[in-house]
Amino acid sequence: MADTMTEKSIEEINERIEDGSVRVVTADRMSEIVSELGAEEAAKEVDVVTTGTFGPMCSSGVFLNFGHADPPIKMQRVWLNDVEAYAGIAAVDAYLGATQLSEEKGLNYGGGYVIEDLVAGKPIDMRAAGYVTDCYPRKDLETTITLEDLNQAIMVNPRNAYQRYASATNSTDRTLYTYMGTLLPNYRNVNYSGAGALSPLYNDPDFETIGVGTRIFLCGAGGYVVGMGTQHDPIHRFGTLMVTGNLKEMNPEFLKGATFHGYGVTLYVGIGIPIPILNERMAKKTAISDADVVTDVIDYGVGRRERPVLRTVTYEELKSGMIELGGKEVPTSPLSSFFMANKVADELTSRIEQGEFFLSPQVERLSRDTVVKPMKQPELPLVKDVMIREVKTVDDRASIAEAAKLMMESQSTHIPVLSGDGKLAGMVTAWDISTAVAKRHEELSEIMTKKVITAGLEEPLELVIRKMERSNISALPVIDDERRVIGMVSSDEISKLIGKRKKWQWKLRI
Amino acid sequence: MKLLLRYPLPLDEMPYTAEVILETGAKINIDRATRDELIVDVPGDDVEHVAELFREKGVEVRKLLKLITWDEERCIHCGACISVCPTRVFTFNPSWNINLEEEKCVRCEICVKACPLSALACVE
Repeated sequence: MADTMTEKSIEEINERIEDGSVRVVTADRMSEIVSELGAEEAAKEVDVVTTGTFGPMCSSGVFLNFGHADPPIKMQRVWLNDVEAYAGIAAVDAYLGATQLSEEKGLNYGGGYVIEDLVAGKPIDMRAAGYVTDCYPRKDLETTITLEDLNQAIMVNPRNAYQRYASATNSTDRTLYTYMGTLLPNYRNVNYSGAGALSPLYNDPDFETIGVGTRIFLCGAGGYVVGMGTQHDPIHRFGTLMVTGNLKEMNPEFLKGATFHGYGVTLYVGIGIPIPILNERMAKKTAISDADVVTDVIDYGVGRRERPVLRTVTYEELKSGMIELGGKEVPTSPLSSFFMANKVADELTSRIEQGEFFLSPQVERLSRDTVVKPMKQPELPLVKDVMIREVKTVDDRASIAEAAKLMMESQSTHIPVLSGDGKLAGMVTAWDISTAVAKRHEELSEIMTKKVITAGLEEPLELVIRKMERSNISALPVIDDERRVIGMVSSDEISKLIGKRKKWQWKLRI
Repeated sequence: MKLLLRYPLPLDEMPYTAEVILETGAKINIDRATRDELIVDVPGDDVEHVAELFREKGVEVRKLLKLITWDEERCIHCGACISVCPTRVFTFNPSWNINLEEEKCVRCEICVKACPLSALACVE
């Protein structure tokens, strides 16, 4: 019976919003309140917990309807400030995605910025191309539009508000520019994203209140949850939401176009979700703190889908500014903004308190068992499929002349140099030998490359080609875990493979 | 005060900085050094003297009044600049907005690339 005492309905909460007696707190304060009063009392005292997040959410975009031109055009392709929107929907509808790049400015401008500029009321140059039909006689069009000129501008974001996100670091010896920001070499920093204890889905991990039709704060406008987001992964606490809202009612303060250097354009989206405290159970769930939200530290130095997890970490540790990684203290950076997430939650709180925002019951609960599958794809060639296994090597105490002789005999321009224990110590190339002759060097160790770029047996050839392009090399040794040379891959083998594949494709076409 | 020193090219391998330190006794701190460019931190009283001596040796000297510019209007206080900065110029205030201590900056420009909002710049 005690439980029914604290059972509230959304209608009752909405009545309290109406008469101004509603009690709203932000999610970061709830853990304190529950530990002070206990969940049962807290459920009586608090009606709504507000959550908020403000982070880069690439899977975002807007549906736009431009109205009909005269003479009418069926837009096949359309560009807004030189950023292409998808126009394969009727004649004058388009979907502009946040990550689409400007054709002129590349990574420095794109969909996210166009969306921000639209909301800020700026004029946007529009260009469209179509094909002629009896009902749509026009071929192309150029004009300038503002948000006001559009019939509809409806934000529909397929994947927003990740429950939590993995944090990123970099094991390699070069700086990586990723969607997780700038990752310094040799694990020198850790970047993370997500709002921790303020995260909407982390405060309702079983989707008891957040579901299809839940009314939310979206970039300053009132919006709704459409349903589960793409890549929704509730079992692993990586739930996502698909959300929608009217772009015309949004505020540029709560959405920002942004560029992650070397990666591309995205959109910072501000989302606030109210959680009705219907009972003791919801009071308990919203009482989480940053220490309860755990995530992985992942090595982005590995260019594969499954990247190694180095450790688990709580948002409390991440937010402290330093975490321990491999025996060292490493500085951390958030990529989403706690300052703005708090602002979102505060703004939502104030709208509810002032009777401007009412809660809606979910129409349907979000899936709790959806799984995320990897892409189905044909198997790609690996290093072991193309590498040469018979590799001539030379000892690091050998003379330059010996290395040159070996090169001639083996007809190879790249020879791995081994140290006394049989492990890879360097590489010597025909170019190094010519340099040695020109500069009169004597020792092999003087001319060989000591910082060798290597490949692993199970590495996809695609990644090896990237290494070759990046370092401007044409061959690299394949090594095992003990740095023993077990093969070589060179651009020759790769061209042969591509040649074969072309032949195969040609046969298929016949 | 910080000075940006540009050495005359081709480099003549002269130990200009060491000479200036010996001549002035100024406690010059080298913030950042590339092949032909140096950023040094010079105690206020010694600035004029030090700058003059470098100029005499043919080194181009520029006083760095502004090390880094921060567009606070554009900034969303995410903190992407914090962990990449080698000298800890950026920190969070208790309310999670960014605090910038310009005097620590050595103009390495790593934060300029790391800022998703393009709110940071190193101006000449």
